[in-house]
Amino acid sequence: MADELTAATVMRTRRLPAFEAPFLRAPEGARRVFLVTLGAACAPLLAGVVLFGWRAAVVACICVAACVIIEHVTYRVAHTPALGGRSHAYLTGVLLALTLPAFTPWYVAVIASAFAVIIGKAVFGGVGHFLWQPALVGRFAVAVMFPALLAPGDWPVLAQNRLLVGDVTDARTPMDYRGWQDRSAPEGADAFRLPHPRRALAKLTNRPTDAPPAYSGLAMPRLEMPGAAPAALHAPSPDRLPPMRDLVFGTRPGGIGETCIIVLLVAGGYLVYRDYVRWQLPVAFLASAWCVAAVAPVQLAGPSQTVETVWFPLLVEGLDVGFTYVNYQLLSGATVLAATFLITEMSSRPATVGGQVIFGAAAGALAMGLQLYVTAVPIPAYAAVLAMNTFAPWIERMWRPRVLGRRRLAWLGSLVHPFGERRPKR
Amino acid sequence: MLARRYATFTGGIDLPDLKDATLDAPVRPGPVPARLRVPLAPCGGPPAEPVVAAGQRVVAGQRLGAASDDAAVDVYAPATGTVSRLTRVATAGRYGPAHSDAVELVELEHLPELPAEPPTAGWRELAAAQVRERIADGALTTFRRGAEPLSGWIERARAAGCRVLIANVMEHEPYVTADHALLRARGRQVAGGLMLLGRAIGAETVYLAADRRRTDDYHPAEDAARELGIEPVALEHKYPTGADVMLVKILTRCETPPGGSPTDVGAAVVDAATCFATYAQVACGVRPSGRVVTVAGERTSRVGNFFVPFGVGCVDLVGAPGPPVLHGGAMTALRCDEATVTSPASDAVLAPAVETPPHPGPCIRCGWCVAHCPARLNVAALNDAFELADVDRAARLGVRACIACGVCSYICPARLPLTQRMNQLNRAVGRVADG
Repeated sequence: MADELTAATVMRTRRLPAFEAPFLRAPEGARRVFLVTLGAACAPLLAGVVLFGWRAAVVACICVAACVIIEHVTYRVAHTPALGGRSHAYLTGVLLALTLPAFTPWYVAVIASAFAVIIGKAVFGGVGHFLWQPALVGRFAVAVMFPALLAPGDWPVLAQNRLLVGDVTDARTPMDYRGWQDRSAPEGADAFRLPHPRRALAKLTNRPTDAPPAYSGLAMPRLEMPGAAPAALHAPSPDRLPPMRDLVFGTRPGGIGETCIIVLLVAGGYLVYRDYVRWQLPVAFLASAWCVAAVAPVQLAGPSQTVETVWFPLLVEGLDVGFTYVNYQLLSGATVLAATFLITEMSSRPATVGGQVIFGAAAGALAMGLQLYVTAVPIPAYAAVLAMNTFAPWIERMWRPRVLGRRRLAWLGSLVHPFGERRPKR
Repeated sequence: MLARRYATFTGGIDLPDLKDATLDAPVRPGPVPARLRVPLAPCGGPPAEPVVAAGQRVVAGQRLGAASDDAAVDVYAPATGTVSRLTRVATAGRYGPAHSDAVELVELEHLPELPAEPPTAGWRELAAAQVRERIADGALTTFRRGAEPLSGWIERARAAGCRVLIANVMEHEPYVTADHALLRARGRQVAGGLMLLGRAIGAETVYLAADRRRTDDYHPAEDAARELGIEPVALEHKYPTGADVMLVKILTRCETPPGGSPTDVGAAVVDAATCFATYAQVACGVRPSGRVVTVAGERTSRVGNFFVPFGVGCVDLVGAPGPPVLHGGAMTALRCDEATVTSPASDAVLAPAVETPPHPGPCIRCGWCVAHCPARLNVAALNDAFELADVDRAARLGVRACIACGVCSYICPARLPLTQRMNQLNRAVGRVADG
């Protein structure tokens, strides 16, 4: 073994096998890690295919095929070995499909895949080196390039009797829609065209500066009807939020894998069980988003055509209304998908648990902040994850667990004098 | 066996145990070797001066080499035989194979067996100075990787003011059961030797730390330990609980400073084989001539715990076809070649089914090495420092705290040889720090 440590010897030997201790190896290799994560990501994908029909499957196939082909071509052109095989390309394709709505045209999916693979991965040198979650890079790119198509407006959801086989683009706006359950498809169509719940929520808490308050927001139930629900649950049809059941089971407008919260939680739990994800990261993300939604000020329409900015929306109308409102904020977007599959991408998060908690908490707060205040951002959770990915290396460098046998904060001294470690007595 | 609950440490991992084949095996005499190549420097360092000539007939216990300075010990013949020549052998040093001169003995007779002599009367009442004197007479060494003269070890522990002595019978590595077998077969004697060592270094607290799962086998040792004022403790078997630094942390809550040894925090650690050799020498007057060695692995049929004299070729001992033959537990083992012989440091000689080493991929930053590192090192960042050959950064990240347990390499899904890289960084930082 070359004992001197120089850049040249390292470059020569870094990819050579070493026949040294330990002679036992844990069975899980990088390929298996990616494939198991891929399997877990297929669960929300399947849920999406059921909820949004065969077009979801087509989008997923296009994304996966485009990612694999583009990655292959990129590595052929760049003459670099495909690091970790193709397994990570499959994973990127599936994750990208999860974030796209089912009615995405094929060229949008291909462009997103190209951005994901080339800008997201290949530019940085492939698996293990990229700065941003590649699937989100692709999603972000198409959100910028096709704002009208992918803005959260009126999006379709398959009706109960057309699940899996229905065509999601064949949608109609239903009259007097109160919830997805026990309603068959509109006549001559397969799907309901429904307002994205984020839009209803935004109307609840944001007021265009020039318009007078159209309806009272959270304040209304207090005056008119008791019950644990924000006013928007009872609002006229276009502004009404779907019942909570629809949010949990995923029968609401959204990306293919964004909506089905139950399946996302089960799949995410499996990743935690396999130790691919430390539970602290998604929990920090979701908890911080929840807390921001509970605390951050929102503009509410007061009882008499006034607007008031109130802090603690969790408490302002009583805990029951506030709790429902905060849960709607958390479940109506892509926050849960971001927490389970996207923010946990290995290469683009800090490696230490403490760093991950900081990273996740900051991303969660940012995601909810964007969702509450910056309605111009169509994908607040994804944008927040991408933004925090940028800082992940910095967090990694700043968060230093105390090394065994060092004094607390000893690394501050080692910044000044790196070799000032206490010498062993001889 | 356990009355108190002990803290643990962050990180670590549950390894496959792989000890079933030898766990219940009694200590048997080893296969009869054709020759012994007795290393003249079992402790590394300068070899002893040979005092025999080729062709000379020596009897068991006759001196073969005279120590040239304090860092060496006298070497005695483990068996009766004829000196055929001086040769070179490799033993297990702390960081790798240590090469030294050796005396080759052939036409062997009277191969040693596990000592069972009765103790001399009054061995329990020996004063500390007498114990140290007898240890120095007996050319005892420590019986672990990086062996050193036991007298030197005692002096170092006394100079550091060690108040705690820990007998490390955790045997946390897969396959290895040598100390376990010794404690089963000679538990009272091991406890006696531990008491003598504690007296020699002036320790106030003496622990006998064993694996909680195995305590049913250790009742004789446990009873004797309690009689002799030793505290037996049973610990969970998470790897690397049996690393000295971790054991000291668990039992004393003191963390060894990076690059230091447990004596820096006033704790000394020995193993069962050293205790037994001390007992045999001090109480019974029997010089060490061999040790219990675990022979195991999927590629050998000669599985068991054997009492093997010093100087048996490891490859001959294991009798397995083809390399690799491993010296020591599989997590920290050295690879043996024809020159490698058993020495006081040989707790196991293994022939496991080892696949060819995989080509390392790029780090996927899974963070498992960080999560499982018992020294709480950011191994992923240190790997970056290695790939950049940035010794300064490695020093800042505290690489000297690495205990070389092998967990990071074991767990790495990219198959990076992280332990080897940490060792390289550690040595590079050490060279700069020590000038």
